[in-house]
Formats: sequence, C-alpha cells, structure tokens
Amino acid sequence: MAFEGYQNPRTALFHVLFKGLAVAFYICCKWISSSFVIHFVVCVLLLALDFWTVKNVSGRRLVGLRWWNETDENGESVWRFESLDQQAMEQLHSKDAWLFWSAIVASLGVWVLFGIVAILNFSPNYLLIVGIAIVLNGANIIGFFKCRKDAKAKLQGLATEAMVSHLTPKIHNLFSA
Amino acid sequence: MMNSEERSLLPTSDIDEIEGLFRIVPPVPNGAGVSPSTSDSVAISVGGGRAVSPASVPPVIPTSVAGGGIGVPSASSPVPTAGSPPRAFGFTPSPNTLTEPVWDTLKRDLVRIAVNLRQVVFPNPSREDPGKALRDWDLWGPFFFIILLALTLSSSASQNKAQVFAVVFAVLSAGALILTLNVLLLGGKIIFFQSLSVLGYCLFPVDIAALLCLMFSNKWARSLVVLVTLAWSSWATYPFMSTAVPPARKALALYPVCLMYISIGFLVLAND
Repeated sequence: MAFEGYQNPRTALFHVLFKGLAVAFYICCKWISSSFVIHFVVCVLLLALDFWTVKNVSGRRLVGLRWWNETDENGESVWRFESLDQQAMEQLHSKDAWLFWSAIVASLGVWVLFGIVAILNFSPNYLLIVGIAIVLNGANIIGFFKCRKDAKAKLQGLATEAMVSHLTPKIHNLFSA
Repeated sequence: MMNSEERSLLPTSDIDEIEGLFRIVPPVPNGAGVSPSTSDSVAISVGGGRAVSPASVPPVIPTSVAGGGIGVPSASSPVPTAGSPPRAFGFTPSPNTLTEPVWDTLKRDLVRIAVNLRQVVFPNPSREDPGKALRDWDLWGPFFFIILLALTLSSSASQNKAQVFAVVFAVLSAGALILTLNVLLLGGKIIFFQSLSVLGYCLFPVDIAALLCLMFSNKWARSLVVLVTLAWSSWATYPFMSTAVPPARKALALYPVCLMYISIGFLVLAND
C-alpha cells in the first residue's frame, strides 16, 4: 500500500495532489476544453492552491518549516522563518521529508520543461501559465531552502550555547571551590 | 553575575534582550501588550504588540538579532517538559503557528485579505499613515481581483475571448510590476510586494465597474460607472504612491498609475 510508512499520509497526498493535477491538466487541457480561458483559470487556480498548501500546510507538517515575509516598523522587508526544535525535528519521519523535497524540486523541473516546449511552439498564451507556475514553485523552493538553512544554523547555534551554558557554572565551581 | 538559567522569553527588541541579560524581567508589561503572568512566568510584549507568555521559566539560550534589511530575529520559545506538542523557534506571531490547525491558517489568510481590502479601498483613519496601513500585505487579494477582472472582460467580449483574457491579465500584471519599478526608481521608499499589493487591491473598484457594465448596455450609464470607479481607484492609490516618493516626484509617480487605470477603464467601456 503506497501510504504505509508516512507519518502524515493525508498531508503527503495533498502535497502531491495539486501539483499533479496542475501538471496533468496542463498536458490534457486541449482534450478537456477548447477554451484557453478555462485552461488558464483552472491551471492557475490549481497552482495557487498548491502554493498555499505547500507553504502553509505540508511545509509545516512534513518538514516542520515555515517562512513568510513581513514589513517591520521601519518599513523594511524582513523574512521570517520558523522551525521546530530539535526534539520535534527528530520525530519527523524521513520519508515524509523526502517526499516533500523531491516533489517540489520535480515539479519545478517539469514546469521548466513545459516552458521550453511552449517557447519552441511559439505559444505565448501557454507561456503565461508556465511563467506563473515557475514563479510560484520557485518562490516556495527558495523560501523553504532558506528556511532549512536558517533552521540548521539555529540548531548549531543552540548546541554551542547549550555547551557554553553547561560549562560556565562548572568553571565557576572550579575557581570558587 | 548573569543568571543564564532563568531568563525570559525574548522578543525581537534589543533593549529587552539587554535588560534580560542582567536581571529577570519582572512580570510587568512594557507598554505594548499584556498577558497574564503566573508566579514563575513572565509576560513580554513582542514588537508587533502581541504578547507571548511562556508556560514556565526554562533555560533559555541567548539569541542574536540580526540588523535591518534581511534579518532573521530568533528567539527560542520555552522548551517545555516532556510530552508536549512540538515547539517552534523563530519569531512567532502566535505561539504555535507551526502546529495550528489548517482551518486557522486559512481563516487568518482570509481575514487578512478582507482587512487589507478595507484599508486600501475604503475610507478609514489608517490611510493617514500608508506605510502602516498595508504592513500585512498579501498577494492573494490582488490575484483574485485580476482573475475576476480578466474573466469578466473576457466573458463579455464577443470574439477573441482567449486573447482578451490573456491580454488583460498580462497587461495588469506587467502594469503593476512596471508601476512598482517606477516608484522604486524614482527614489521612493516602498516595499516591492507592498506596492504590488496596493495596486492589486485598487483594482477592486474596476472589478465592480466591469461587473456593472456586464449588466447595462446603455453607453451613458457605463461611462458614468467607469468614471466614478476610476476616480475611486485613483483616490485609493494616491496616499500610498504619493507618500512613498519625494514630493518633487509625486506627479511622476502618480501619472502612470492614472494612465493605467484610464486604459483599463477604456477596456471595460469598449467591451461589447
């Protein structure tokens, strides 16, 4: 059964579902409807749903990461990252994480391919759809990679600090005893 | 000297962090937000005015706050005793966005769209300070409005529906991008995404015009509707665009915006 071994089978399903549907619809759109408007709207809706799901749901559940952008008081744009602490990270299933990362990278690759095909076919209309897909997928990939880097740095920082804070009283005791 | 074992949950403020290094912060709100404090917990107000109260006083690790620009302030939340839900690092608007139910996330986003729409398009006191008004920008609202406008115009077009749709969508997106770049190149201080967001939300009146024009076919009625909504759109964009650029360049920033709305107005009007 394909769903064994996943800690969050429903989230994993949705993570892949919208991406897969968007790609499938793009490929089969001509057989389903003859109107470009329908193709565009359905594809873009699926892509937007996928973007929201990955950013807000599957990122959290499958790899414990979250990113977003805020404007602070000075009007500067600040990227915020959230990640689970070490204990919770270790509870995450590696199969979930593998599915997460491979799905978003594979999806971007597929849309780039479609983009090349659309350029070769001289169809600017479909290039519009592909452009949107690449922007949305790319945004998620960049966000999550940055977030993962940040999470790793934080964990390392924590490990160092924990070590320091454990050693300091011991050193104090050495000198005061 | 430094009691590193008992330090409170630190938000992003530098002063609070330095204070916390030297003493335990007493359970007194520092003005921006309050939350109930238990005997051994401390209430701190986070920079955005939302309060976070740790459940216990844990060993806390010193944090570093990165300066301006792209910064990632990090404050570790309390590591609770065993058997608790996973806790999160990082600046959290509410203590648990990582483990909140999906419906909460969805609701939060929907509410944000409604709030942003109200702030940008309808008269309200926070328009005086545009930078603050759209602090919580989002691009979902603009996305829906562009799609709605393109759909409406395309459905009322008698021929070339696909072309109309694609053209409207491309013109609106490219237009928003170019207008934002215009403001930035004029030396304006506005966040790229914030500006895209404002221009997108200001399409709401044009959406209304397009929908109304679907219903009437009287030329004069349509012209009136389009004119009124154009004025509404320009009025909505005005504070955001004009405060962003230096006063000498205000007209240069606003003129292209008005031009874009006028051309969309013509598209709406000419649609038959």
